[in-house]
Amino acid sequence: MTSLITVKDLSFSYISGVKALDGINLDIGKGEVIAIVGHNGSGKTTLVKHFNGLLKPTSGVVLVNGIPTVGLTTAHLSRTVGYVFQNPDDQIFNSSIYSEVSFGPSNIGLKGSKLKSRVNEALELTGLSSIKGKHPLDLNLNEKKMTTIASVIAMKPEVIILDEPTSGQDHDGVKRVELLVKELSKSHTVILISHDMGLVSRVANRIIMMWDSRLIFDGPIREAFTKNDLLAKTDLNPPVITELAQRVGLMPDIFTVGEFIDALKKRK
Amino acid sequence: MGLIGRVSSGRSSLCSAFLGLIPHFYPGEFTGSLIVDGLSVNDSSIAKLSTHVGLVFQSPVNQLSGAGTTVEEELAFGLENLGVPHSEMVRRVNEMLKLIGLTSFRKRSPFELSGGQQQKVAIASVLIMDPKVLVMDEPTAQLDPLGSRLVFDFIKKLTKRGITIILNTQDINQLAEFADRVLVMDNGMIVRDGTARDVLTDINCLNSHGINPSDLTLLSSELKKRGLYKGHLCLTMRDAELMVKKVIKK
Repeated sequence: MTSLITVKDLSFSYISGVKALDGINLDIGKGEVIAIVGHNGSGKTTLVKHFNGLLKPTSGVVLVNGIPTVGLTTAHLSRTVGYVFQNPDDQIFNSSIYSEVSFGPSNIGLKGSKLKSRVNEALELTGLSSIKGKHPLDLNLNEKKMTTIASVIAMKPEVIILDEPTSGQDHDGVKRVELLVKELSKSHTVILISHDMGLVSRVANRIIMMWDSRLIFDGPIREAFTKNDLLAKTDLNPPVITELAQRVGLMPDIFTVGEFIDALKKRK
Repeated sequence: MGLIGRVSSGRSSLCSAFLGLIPHFYPGEFTGSLIVDGLSVNDSSIAKLSTHVGLVFQSPVNQLSGAGTTVEEELAFGLENLGVPHSEMVRRVNEMLKLIGLTSFRKRSPFELSGGQQQKVAIASVLIMDPKVLVMDEPTAQLDPLGSRLVFDFIKKLTKRGITIILNTQDINQLAEFADRVLVMDNGMIVRDGTARDVLTDINCLNSHGINPSDLTLLSSELKKRGLYKGHLCLTMRDAELMVKKVIKK
């Protein structure tokens, strides 16, 4: 596996002196879908902001495609690493979906039919083609979220970071985000910050747990759900079906109703 | 009472109407009537309605007045506006601080608190007005799991105070724990109204209105289909645990 992002002994302190990251080591390969979980304030967002150069290490090093981020600008890195903010209103500023999504690619010099096909492709993937003329103020929460994801997709980055993409979304919205993440993961490395362990268990294959500025777990997702001490520490709730399986003494890493029934059959 | 449904189903609009924000604040066409605690929202001002109904928004940051530099000032803000006597104000602020478990935070700025604590302050700042009805519009949507748990535990505590609570939420597993009644909305209409148990275990109804049933309910339905279980559909963790233990014993 080719390493796309390498983090070595990364520590970061804000100007106020507050230490937000402490000795992080991490390797992210091409094509991985990684979930980063942990409390608010545990360092998740601070960590991913190092991947696109919004923040630079206080000590240690972050390499993107083998190059230290310290000499690179966010404008440059955003072609490799795209970051979708948690709150769409922090990101959207144009007067139509189309102009919002075309802003990034036209800024890096795309014009005419090239620009058009790039934007249309992103709109197609996010299901926004039929409403591309709509004003962002007239969009519902899901359409807004999809617009922000589309504008990052249109930059064709290798890595897409989604910061809490399902917060405030309803069932349909969560489902749409989930399908999109699955689609994106075919051609991108996806980093997902989320509290929704149901979603995480369905889309990610590796999970990173942050706690108090440190990385306390990095491994397969099924293994994470059996670490009750870590789950309790980070206040994460396993999916209800997983919790039920653990309570009744079935296998501890059950994720779906189907797996539950299979385990029950074996038990009988 | 729980209010569930997909995005843009009309849940938030209905919540706004309970306080008269619709039709008085948001322009539009309003027909029919809505009576809250004996007051017709059409003929009553928002100020008048707000002494009978309290509304808690999704984001505590939108709710906190910012007029108070400390938690206790924030809580007292609504009462000050009504000219409540000082001694009465102190008594009610103390009661609320105790209720939300933030007495030791009384001198802190509300903006230094965690999201869950902020939302509890926001709810208490509404509750202190002693409304008959408390409407909460997705009060946990923007909180992390710990914050959600703090707020839901607090709401559970409130259900014992005899106040009417209308909760717009997408968390069916939480609703299952304490709601008596659930309304399903879709396309601006109430499409189902029944006991929490009847509505939340009606898998077909939930699916057709874009709502995910609880995995616990789906599990019990699957076990029923396979003839492994004959009881009623499960809604809570306790139900499901009992069910699975029965199935294993057989």
